[in-house]
Amino acid sequence: MAGKMVLIVNNGTPDRLIGLAVLASGAIAQDMEVEIYLMLWGVYAFRKDILEKNKELIEHKELGSEVEEGLKRAGLKPWYETLKELRELGNLKVYACSAALKAWNVTKDDLFIADDVVGAVEIVNAAREAEVALFI
Amino acid sequence: MGGENIDLKNIKPDKTVDARGTSCPGPILAAKRAITQVPVGGILEVLSSDSGTLKDLPLWAKKVGHEFLGYIEEPGYWRIYVRRKK
Repeated sequence: MAGKMVLIVNNGTPDRLIGLAVLASGAIAQDMEVEIYLMLWGVYAFRKDILEKNKELIEHKELGSEVEEGLKRAGLKPWYETLKELRELGNLKVYACSAALKAWNVTKDDLFIADDVVGAVEIVNAAREAEVALFI
Repeated sequence: MGGENIDLKNIKPDKTVDARGTSCPGPILAAKRAITQVPVGGILEVLSSDSGTLKDLPLWAKKVGHEFLGYIEEPGYWRIYVRRKK
């Protein structure tokens, strides 16, 4: 058993979500299971209709184009492309908070990846049982 | 660099994966994908221009049960060798 990493995503800007993709990659590379739990802004960022339009950074907004260029120079894929790749390479699941889905008036089928819908108790229990649990 | 005396300069890899131009986690994911195409006991060569790979690849190999053999520095990149153990 290589263990499990839980990532709770409450931020929905690409600068934070790059961190999500990098950390998930590190876990999948070494055969850990990864569970991503989407809360309010996580659900928003995973929406199919938002995915590629979502460009505004949470920090240093004035550096947006510089960051975009820098990431290209570093050869980093968009965060969502990396998550798609990780789904092929290992065991990565995505769960959406039921209240957040309701808040955005969407279902899990409106998200580019979502395996199931969960509540707060399940999120906390998942974090409790994982070897690594992080809040993004 | 490796645990045994291996002449890395004359090594014959079973597969080479070129991850130059990508940054962490690109080379590690490329290695994870490629190692399945190497026979058990065979050698994977990873080309990486990201210095983080020099630390990450040995850690990855140890964690998933393969053997890190070492690396050769080339201008602007590294050739990194892993033996598939299982």
